[in-house]
Amino acid sequence: MRIAGRRPSPGFIVGAVILAGWVLIALLAPAATPHDPLATVSGAREAPSAEFWFGTDRLGRDVFSRVIQAARVSLVLGFISVAIGAALGSAMGLVSGYYRGPADAVLMRVVDAMLAFPGILLALVVIAALGPSITNVMIAVGVSTIPRYARLVRSTVLTVREQAYIEAARLIGVRDIRIMLRHVLPNTAIPLLVLSTLEFGHAISVGAGLSFLGLGAQPPTPEWGLMVAVGRDVLGRAWWISTFPGLAIFTVVMATNLLGDSLQEMLDPRLKAR
Amino acid sequence: MLATYLARRFAQLGVVLLLVSVAVFSIMHALPGDPVQLMLSGAESGSVTPERQEQLREEMGLNDPLPVQYGRFLRGAVIGDFGTSVRLRAPVLDLILDRLGSTLALSLGGILFAVIIGVATGVLAALKQGSWIDGFSRVLAYAGVSLPLFWLGLLLILVFSFQLSWFPPAGSEGVRSLVLPSLSLGLVSAGVIARLTRASLREVLVEDYIRTAWAKGLPKRIVYLRHALRNALIPVLTMLGLQFGAMLAGAVVTETVFSRPGLGRLVVSAILWKDYPLVQGIVLFMAAMYVIVNLLVDLLAAWLDPRIRDEVPA
Repeated sequence: MRIAGRRPSPGFIVGAVILAGWVLIALLAPAATPHDPLATVSGAREAPSAEFWFGTDRLGRDVFSRVIQAARVSLVLGFISVAIGAALGSAMGLVSGYYRGPADAVLMRVVDAMLAFPGILLALVVIAALGPSITNVMIAVGVSTIPRYARLVRSTVLTVREQAYIEAARLIGVRDIRIMLRHVLPNTAIPLLVLSTLEFGHAISVGAGLSFLGLGAQPPTPEWGLMVAVGRDVLGRAWWISTFPGLAIFTVVMATNLLGDSLQEMLDPRLKAR
Repeated sequence: MLATYLARRFAQLGVVLLLVSVAVFSIMHALPGDPVQLMLSGAESGSVTPERQEQLREEMGLNDPLPVQYGRFLRGAVIGDFGTSVRLRAPVLDLILDRLGSTLALSLGGILFAVIIGVATGVLAALKQGSWIDGFSRVLAYAGVSLPLFWLGLLLILVFSFQLSWFPPAGSEGVRSLVLPSLSLGLVSAGVIARLTRASLREVLVEDYIRTAWAKGLPKRIVYLRHALRNALIPVLTMLGLQFGAMLAGAVVTETVFSRPGLGRLVVSAILWKDYPLVQGIVLFMAAMYVIVNLLVDLLAAWLDPRIRDEVPA
């Protein structure tokens, strides 16, 4: 397989395989869980065994089945958050970069203000406003990624708008909205793909963090961050309850980072690597 | 030159802080939920007449138009009056100042670990390219962006508290209780700092003044430490400002993991209590702290490297 004439790097292959594995697990989740993830199937806090690979939690539920089932929540969260951030952020970047002037000045100050909230703080404000729930976590994480999309798209648009074919389209009377969507936006596809891959993993990690804090998924929903939080109180006696869901988050995020960085090197070497 | 640079940066700071206050205020007020109902949904619920509720609303200024409420909020924030916590019935500023020390200690501890681990790894990686330490710097960078902070903290507790019993798993007594939470925060940033140090040092090492230093016959140690590293660390310094933000945001998670009192833990509680003045105050305070620290770090970098001052405005 070749992408843009370059052989995929080992990082790309490892990342893609792990991520594809998780997508498959999420799709097959109801059938793939050996036990009912919500039912008490054994004694409380049993150590990992041949029957219960990842042990059982304080209610005697199978941790392995719960980790598998929870893949759905996290992957959906990743997709929806990225979709929200990419759609709103790109729209802002497109308008900002295409029109320049006052619209640009206003939108970029909004972006500056959003970037003044360090890390998950912006998502926290949105959660505070909407109330704790997994749906609101998706919205909050999506909103918090807007500034990065807006800046990326804006910088790409700024170079594209000076091209002769844009000028030509304008001269023959093509409407702005059509120029933006048909002629400018496609140019941002590759950087958007790279950023979205990286943001996908980031969103899953932040989303799990919010659930860990009790601001996202609520019991008894199987969700990785929430499972880590519940296991925290009995960490000394039952390490497996927190460890395995955390490992799941780590593998997904690691895979998307490997994939994102390799995509960047293959498709758009100009973008500065992190 | 310096004066215009300073003026521009302070003007930018003012604008950003103003916009942040508008953002926090409008998000918090665009929402359903009546603070008076929330305040009363405690012991006294049911015993309060609608008239008394209306009176309270009037006292708290909730019947005024939003711009008027914002004006009051802003005027208060400027003089450090963030209102009163609905749940804890105490001035928000007092609650913040009570916990500020604990969160700052944690953040500075995190920065310290990040710098020690990050710079050491980055320097060795730059000087010995392709060695195991260069590979390690890469792994550290990946681990830093991929490990969920809350899980990393729990892993440290498992190993260093439960297995080795070196450090307490929770609490805030003494310096020992600060080690694991700071380390978990520091590890997340160490990778970024290591990669930046490596890249920056490699760029500096091919500069003319380094060749001159070699030509003068200076010893290796002097060339690396006094001539190269000093200049290479200026971008790292700027990065530390950004990482301070990562520490503040990380404190939200880490304080919960290690059961430490602090601003992060308080803001999470405030969200769960629906204590809007408290949430608003803490978030505004943390954002302001982040923006101001970044400005100070940038000014320090500009002072150390005059080339930055002459940069074209962004």
